[in-house]
Amino acid sequence: MKLILSDRHLELPEADHPSIKFIDLSKLKIANCIGCFGCWTKTPGRCVIRDDAVNVYPYIAKSDSVLYISRVKYGGYDTTMKTMLERAIPVQQAFIRLVHGETHHVQRNVAPKRAVVIGYGALSKEERNLFCKLVARNANNMNFESFRVVFASEQELEATVRKEVSAWRPL
Amino acid sequence: MAAIMILNGSPRAPRSNSKQYAELFSKSCRSETEYFPITRTNHLELCRAVERFSDLLFVFPLYADGIPVTLLNFLKVLEAHPPQKKPVISVLINCGFLEPHQNDTAVQMLRLYCKQNGYPFGSVLKVGSGEAILTTPFRFLAAWKIKRLASSICSAQYRTLEVTMPIPKRWFLKASSAYWLRYGRRNGVTKEEMETMQIEGNPI
Repeated sequence: MKLILSDRHLELPEADHPSIKFIDLSKLKIANCIGCFGCWTKTPGRCVIRDDAVNVYPYIAKSDSVLYISRVKYGGYDTTMKTMLERAIPVQQAFIRLVHGETHHVQRNVAPKRAVVIGYGALSKEERNLFCKLVARNANNMNFESFRVVFASEQELEATVRKEVSAWRPL
Repeated sequence: MAAIMILNGSPRAPRSNSKQYAELFSKSCRSETEYFPITRTNHLELCRAVERFSDLLFVFPLYADGIPVTLLNFLKVLEAHPPQKKPVISVLINCGFLEPHQNDTAVQMLRLYCKQNGYPFGSVLKVGSGEAILTTPFRFLAAWKIKRLASSICSAQYRTLEVTMPIPKRWFLKASSAYWLRYGRRNGVTKEEMETMQIEGNPI
């Protein structure tokens, strides 16, 4: 399965395929993670907040290719995408393992991923570099076996996303 | 003498480790400090309060390799409602992983925020094993580094510090497992249940 997770509405006829799931986070109701650790220690694998996030993180786990589209803010994901990524921790266990010699959480049934992250709205080269560092950190915690970061202006965003989705074909 | 505003950016501020780190900071700081949790409704009130302080210390946990949304949202409001006199911003960040350097990206985000918005950047304390260290015999190490952080801010001799449990990684894996198993046991959840590979019952 291939997942497109976007923080804004996009016209993507290319994504109209049974093996592609396109989720527009801006249309969903997703509360902030409250850091209760319930998804690790009370109802393992299930978030205790039963809003739209619980329909999203199973797709994140299942997908072997992901395309994340987010505005860049202070070198990181802006609120919409960051809120979802924070709410995706039920895909991990509380327990710790070593990944490339660093401590990280054990993953549950999470497919290794080829990830492409498209950032838009970055203000400077410094901000773009920091965003690249962030995605490299994510790779260890989100089971990316490979990743690529692409930057686009808001005007060229839709065309950039379409190009990436087209590269998935033949599906 | 500096007056230091401590802002807790943890999503579970009232019962967070960040609150305990903030309390340790206040106790070991010779300057006047005032503590505030960031909530969903107090952003503007906090922005107004910033005016009264020479230094601002953000205390927060690492979330998904970056700044928690609780703090991110406040930063955006502060950007829109800046104080006339900008305080020096320092950071006390903790992550549950053993390596303090896993906090680096989030610290760099705060540095970038300061650069973009014209705030002087001050000191940093990066805490590894931050979920558990305060409940272990190594608590004194965290308290000692927090004292040094406070001293650096009070004297305006800003610096970057770090602390973690001085144990081999394999020991840390065992110790953290024991910690989380106790956590689960308090909720009546077994090790096997915590280790489930199912996510929402694997509905897809």
